[in-house]
Amino acid sequence: MTQIAPKIAIVGAGPSGCYLAQALLKAVPGAEIDMLDRLPVPFGLVRYGVAADHQGTKAVARQFSRLFEKQGVRFFGNVTLGQDGEEGTIALTELQEAYDVVALGLGLPRDRALPLPGGDLPGVIGAGALTRHWNDHPDDAADLPDLGRRVVIVGQGNVAIDVLRILAKREEHFEGSDLSHRHTDHIAAAGIESIDIFGRSPAHEAKFDPVMVKELAQLPHMGFAFEGLHHSDGREDTRLEALASLPAAGDHDIRVTFHFGATPVKLCSDAGRVASARFACGGEELSLPCDTVISAIGFETHVPGIRDDLLAGAEDADLGVIRPGLYATGWFARGPRGTIPENRQAAQALAKRIAADLGTLPTGEKPGSAALLTRCPETTDYQGWQRIDAAETAACAEGRVRAKVADLSQMLTLAKGQPETDS
Amino acid sequence: MKIALLYGTETGNAEMLCEDIEGHLEGDHDVAMADLGDTDPAALDGEAFHLIVCSTYGDGDLPASAQPFAEALEKAAPDLSAIRFAIFGLGDSSYDTYNEGSQKLAELLVKFGAKQVGERTIHDAMGSDMPEDLAFPWAEDRIAEAESLFAES
Repeated sequence: MTQIAPKIAIVGAGPSGCYLAQALLKAVPGAEIDMLDRLPVPFGLVRYGVAADHQGTKAVARQFSRLFEKQGVRFFGNVTLGQDGEEGTIALTELQEAYDVVALGLGLPRDRALPLPGGDLPGVIGAGALTRHWNDHPDDAADLPDLGRRVVIVGQGNVAIDVLRILAKREEHFEGSDLSHRHTDHIAAAGIESIDIFGRSPAHEAKFDPVMVKELAQLPHMGFAFEGLHHSDGREDTRLEALASLPAAGDHDIRVTFHFGATPVKLCSDAGRVASARFACGGEELSLPCDTVISAIGFETHVPGIRDDLLAGAEDADLGVIRPGLYATGWFARGPRGTIPENRQAAQALAKRIAADLGTLPTGEKPGSAALLTRCPETTDYQGWQRIDAAETAACAEGRVRAKVADLSQMLTLAKGQPETDS
Repeated sequence: MKIALLYGTETGNAEMLCEDIEGHLEGDHDVAMADLGDTDPAALDGEAFHLIVCSTYGDGDLPASAQPFAEALEKAAPDLSAIRFAIFGLGDSSYDTYNEGSQKLAELLVKFGAKQVGERTIHDAMGSDMPEDLAFPWAEDRIAEAESLFAES
């Protein structure tokens, strides 16, 4: 029996989508795999979420490039998934008419809001938005107000530690990164003197990976203090060892205080901007004056109307099976837990299931990318990304590996290969 | 020469490098590539020269696919004195546990009698070298050393 190659669309060209494509190449040999993204650039969180000074972590993009450069996977940028009839978008039903298999790897890009009085005051910034800003994401490219000398971070996961580290680093620590001087100048101008980082958990259950905290010990201008460590008396944990490796606060330029077992209660304002943060620590309340509050308490979907419905009726939400022919992968499927490589093993399991389902689904009847291109004529392709990549690499400043284009219309112009005009 | 190319990977970077090494060596050698996670340490082939690529993950730990291999090795405690290997490490100098994964794996193999050929070569993901630019010469040099050792024995 000869079977026509199944046509597979993966929506979202971030790490979980790319790992799924990689696994599908092995699990479903010969499949036509198209990756769709709302931006004209692939790699999602690797480009826009991994910290600019963690270029080693970004190296995984070399694997994903190979999908498009050598393994026949195609990239369609500038395609946005939306609800039925939503302007400028393509609906899931349309994609399912075009493809035998549709898998959604849209991630969870929205910062979970601080559920507190004052949680939305000016001067309160989401860690995801801040990370995207530093990574020059077009949605968060606008200049930020002055950060001020006293920063409070709510949340102690790896994203919170990323933010802390970047706020504390100096220009010389960003050698070899792709963090723009626009951002290092902005951070330096704030003259940050104190960073207080709060978590509800005791230290031995804190959300960070110990290696992320140990990395902070490399920055000699930072000293560390701890509140609430007594909750961990008598405990042994690698997190406690990591904290113990940090130099005690003394005559340092930046004092970082970790507060454990501290629950945020309220943010208060002065002159229309956040001015203090109140926390419940055991039986006591602590009110801390501050200039900026960064919330790093997790992420949620930017398309609740799509995700919630799908997952509510999912056959196996953990594996990412909505129903045969329709799947979800990565954080979009499982929630905001786990590191980038954990998606690799999850993708391999899902690809096996997709391969098994394909044995029972009729395939070969659907038009695939032909229908996509008719419906979305403004798509960009992988060569378009390569043109953006070349422009970013060529424009990079001394000591940097890349100067990202943050303006979406400029990205699209580059992707389409049209000459830029000065008029 | 008969080459057993093995990788221990977390992100897939070590697997990709092994695929590249396989492509580079094919034609000149008889190369078989495998994931350490699918490899039985007691069934390693003394006739083959083992080229191992291993990353580091977490706090200087072995990557996910090398962990079951290491556990099986500790449990079975096989005599590996007939096994010759060379090792290449992938790491990230942002962390002070830089390249400890490949170091741990090499020490473990040696502990059970395996003979390490040449020095461990390591790649830094924060550096400017491409991993294959270090790994291809590493593979060629170690194979040349191993060829003379295999000829003597």
